Amino acid sequence: MTHLALSKISKDFGGTTVVQDFNLDVKKGEFVSFLGPSGCGKTTTLRMIAGFEMPTAGQIVMDDVDITNQPPNQRNVGMIFQAYALFPNMTVTQNIGFGLQIRRESRAVIKQRTDEMLALINLEKHADKYPYQLSGGQQQRVSLARALAVRPQVLLLDEPLSALDAKIRVSLRSEIRAIQKTLGITAIFVTHDQEEALSISDRIVVMNAGEMEQVGTPFEVYNFPQTRFVANFVGSLNTANAEVTDPAKGLLSVGGVQFITASDLAARKKGEAVRVSIRPERFSFLSEHKKDNALDCVIENITFLGSVVRIQIKIGDSNFNMDTFNNPFLELPKLGSKEKVTCSKEAVLVLDE
Amino acid sequence: MNQTSDKKRGGKFWAWFWMILGILYFFLPLVATFLFSLRAKLGVLSFTAYQHVFNDSNFIYNFSYSVLWGVLTIIVGVLIFVPTAYLIRLKLPKFRLPVEFITMLPFVIPAIVYVFSLVRTFSQPPLLIVNSPALLVAGYVILSMPYMYSAIDTGLRAIDVQTLTEAGQSLGAGWGTILFKIILPNIRTAILSGAFLSFAIVIGELILAQYLVKPAFAPYMTYLIQQKAYEPAAMAIISFALTWAAMGIIQFIGRGSEQGQIAGGH
Ligand SMILES: Nc1ncnc2c1ncn2[C@@H]1O[C@H](COP(=O)(O)OP(=O)(O)O)[C@@H](O)[C@H]1O
Ligand SMILES: [Mg+2]
Repeated sequence: MTHLALSKISKDFGGTTVVQDFNLDVKKGEFVSFLGPSGCGKTTTLRMIAGFEMPTAGQIVMDDVDITNQPPNQRNVGMIFQAYALFPNMTVTQNIGFGLQIRRESRAVIKQRTDEMLALINLEKHADKYPYQLSGGQQQRVSLARALAVRPQVLLLDEPLSALDAKIRVSLRSEIRAIQKTLGITAIFVTHDQEEALSISDRIVVMNAGEMEQVGTPFEVYNFPQTRFVANFVGSLNTANAEVTDPAKGLLSVGGVQFITASDLAARKKGEAVRVSIRPERFSFLSEHKKDNALDCVIENITFLGSVVRIQIKIGDSNFNMDTFNNPFLELPKLGSKEKVTCSKEAVLVLDE
Repeated sequence: MNQTSDKKRGGKFWAWFWMILGILYFFLPLVATFLFSLRAKLGVLSFTAYQHVFNDSNFIYNFSYSVLWGVLTIIVGVLIFVPTAYLIRLKLPKFRLPVEFITMLPFVIPAIVYVFSLVRTFSQPPLLIVNSPALLVAGYVILSMPYMYSAIDTGLRAIDVQTLTEAGQSLGAGWGTILFKIILPNIRTAILSGAFLSFAIVIGELILAQYLVKPAFAPYMTYLIQQKAYEPAAMAIISFALTWAAMGIIQFIGRGSEQGQIAGGH
């Protein structure tokens, strides 16, 4: 069941198009992330859902009601800002109760609901403090409670974790996700951090320069990027120029070295230039177990990244990264040595454009 | 080495010299006036003149009116300038400089010129309101505008007007609620300082009240100067003390909400 539908949304600012032909159906209780580099139009799209910006074209429908031109205070959406935006003159309790007061709820209801929310975010002890007396993480939790107290139809979060330090960012991220699941509320989460989007979302909308590049589950977006942009932006990915040598058999030439791919090349011609990508973790050193691609390489560099060791290899003229899990018994090759690596044909992705 | 420290010492000396000279220039007349006001009784220093002032029902009458004009000026000023400055910060940043320029105009238009234009414009139909106290208050609002507006604007600059507004909107609040429950309380200190400056201006203002023929403190004092010697001096000191008390209250209230202001600045 579609809960929130954006159809053919676009937005111009003084002649510059910043969002173009945005189409998205969000299901009830779904957690969707907008992921993309700074300036790609994530915030603008979110603000159109909130009603702070009016789309230049297109339609927004929530629970079968067209809200495209409704002012923000008549939509039932909760908004979380990067800068918390708590009201400095009000205590935590007053902040959380603000929306209920606007809705003229009775005192008993306000009390009951704010208590409920305080328990949900674990800040009962800080109920009477002012925002300036709280840490950033606590303030953002209060702002979450404030938005949820009025039971919005959809929760919008614009980079809510960007102002926090790394540890809090990760713990609050799972807290947000847990609360969202508990309440079964629909959420749209804007971030430029691919790890954040991958870890928290049911679905990710990858955006670039005002357009949607790909929509899919974290698994799909990570493992099957459809465009070069997605391949580069999500995860760390090797990409290389290649030439189709045999569309029927799925053969490619990457700088003279032959690769076989499971991607469908039926629509491509022999000799066509394409772009291929291979995730670093899909490479491994060749053992007896024979895989589709067996490739000669030279070890160029080795970097420890904690749980992972990243090995830079050169296959033909192309550089690739190869990731392997770290363990104390790991035997690493010497720099400059010649080795054989392998990857399955499913790992060799042929990208659009 | 020696030379520079000599120079420094010299610089310090002159800094102090000019500062003390400035303070003397400012306070000497006040002290003189104060001492003069104590000499109402021959041969002894006494507060007789002050007693006279406080027993003078005309003083009470005129001063009370000035206080009333001051309070009305503040209320009308806040109601006009808070929404204006807010709207310009939020929606019309293009107009900020022109509006700032307009608010400074009372500094460059002499009050006498202004009041003359007021009387000319509003003393014939269809705008026959020259006798209405509203015209006086409106005039005071204009005179205090540079202080009121810039104080409010400074207050708004210290908070994140746009985000707070949007947070309010997304919780269902309309413009009135946002203005009075979110914006106003968070610029309280700024509004207070603008209010007290406006108050001080209205208390000391002579020309508008005189030419629009309304009871007020300054015209009464001017009148009294021609009649008496010591009482006007006492009155000057009283008005000065009241103005300074107002400043003290700003400081006090300002300190009370300092933390709120810091929080707003996050
Ligand atoms: N109110 C506005 N007026 C003009 N341009 C804007 C406005 N808001 C955003 N933009 C422009 O639109 C583009 C997208 O901005 P935004 O949606 O904030 O990107 P993101 O959130 O993905 O970083 C940017 O180039 C930005 O400069
Ligand atoms: Mg943004």
